[in-house]
Amino acid sequence: MPKKFGNGQRLAAPVLAGIIILAVSVSCASHLKKAKIYYARAGQEEAALRTERAVALYKLARFEASVEAEKDPSIQVFLVKGLAEVNLAMWKEAEASFVKAFALGHDPAQAWASDAALLGLAASFEAIGLDDSAGGVYENLMRNSKFRPAVMTSASKRTEAVLRKSLGLTPKEKGKALSALLRDLDKLIEDDYACGLYHYLASQVCGHSGDHERGYSEAVVARELGLSSEIILRDNDNQLVFCYKKLKDLLPSPEKEEFEARHAAWAARWGWPGPETPDWKKN
Amino acid sequence: MDTGRIEKAIARGIELLGEFLPGAARLYFPLLHSVCVWAVRRIFNVRQEILAWQVWLEPEAIETKSDEFIASFFRRDERLRQSFGPELESEDKTALREAFAALYPVLGLEDVFLKDLFRAEIGSGEFRRIVSDFRSRIGRAIDDIAPALKETSLSRKLGALAREFASLGIHLLEDEDVQEMIIEGIRGKRIADGDA
Repeated sequence: MPKKFGNGQRLAAPVLAGIIILAVSVSCASHLKKAKIYYARAGQEEAALRTERAVALYKLARFEASVEAEKDPSIQVFLVKGLAEVNLAMWKEAEASFVKAFALGHDPAQAWASDAALLGLAASFEAIGLDDSAGGVYENLMRNSKFRPAVMTSASKRTEAVLRKSLGLTPKEKGKALSALLRDLDKLIEDDYACGLYHYLASQVCGHSGDHERGYSEAVVARELGLSSEIILRDNDNQLVFCYKKLKDLLPSPEKEEFEARHAAWAARWGWPGPETPDWKKN
Repeated sequence: MDTGRIEKAIARGIELLGEFLPGAARLYFPLLHSVCVWAVRRIFNVRQEILAWQVWLEPEAIETKSDEFIASFFRRDERLRQSFGPELESEDKTALREAFAALYPVLGLEDVFLKDLFRAEIGSGEFRRIVSDFRSRIGRAIDDIAPALKETSLSRKLGALAREFASLGIHLLEDEDVQEMIIEGIRGKRIADGDA
């Protein structure tokens, strides 16, 4: 057993107390209250990159909201249920929940229901191999939706699709496709700068277009703002190191030295053992 | 939360799997990890939950990497550079992309299950073997698990184990710590069996 587990000392007393308070308060609360507490906790776990626990808590939130919806339907309960379903990629169920919230008088839920339905449709297109049709839906949502989870999902899906397609294009066609995608991502970044995912996606696109300077900057911003899973964070770190190496080779002195010093400061801030070695790389 | 008791429960789980899946130590990690995750979720339907287990390979993200990024991945690692020297020299992008799809999740993203599954090949530097066996070995791991779970006594015992994990407060531990405890337990078992 690793020594760090001895007596459970890794859990600081305030954290343990917080968990106990949460458990006690959840056990005494109504189903709606429980659903809200689980939903809030899920968001925190997601932010801390504990994806499995976040999924478990979204499932619990949905379960509690479903029990409450049977007993005492309300706008709030359908909104929590629908949002938990969005986070679990249960698009059809989310659509149904938002439709019910709209029917009870919450107007914005109508648009959310429509976006959830479109995401479900795109997923169905993908499942049967109609990638272009799915791409059209994602592009539309990415440009027009006001519902953040729908925009984030669409931006991810569309970026993957365009990058995959671009691998088989001529340089001219590729440049055009990547520029159009980057314009849409820039618009998202302008509207919601604090979303790490958009910066991660922009960095990936820049990696393909050869703009390593921007690719590096976007990966740094994505890391600072946070990403939704450990695997994406690691991929972002790999992208960051890739751009760093490229720039190091390309930049003339004294810019090169300035850049290396700046990167060393970031690496120290993140606790990396070296400029090209993220902290999670054990060997 | 008593981490010593969690460790003992993990050791009992390894013994249990040793009875039902003798000589298939590579499967113990995903099975026990699923049981722990499932204990956290407190959804007590073992068979369904474990069969739903899958390695998150992120195929889309991997398929969309640029040729430059892929070449850099191989060049950065001395052992990979040597193993794939001919492909790098001839700039065989198709072959490098095919190998990258298997090697990036294992070595680039360091997926904990995949690293354990290909532990021997990583240690001996048989990277081409990881590429050739990648899909089949993951598929085989899943295929091997399914029939064993049809044994109701295994399902029942894993269910009891998951309840025990839940009661011991495994959800208070970091995922990475739980993974480390399972890996340590399996390593201990392998050493005891002379399979290290």
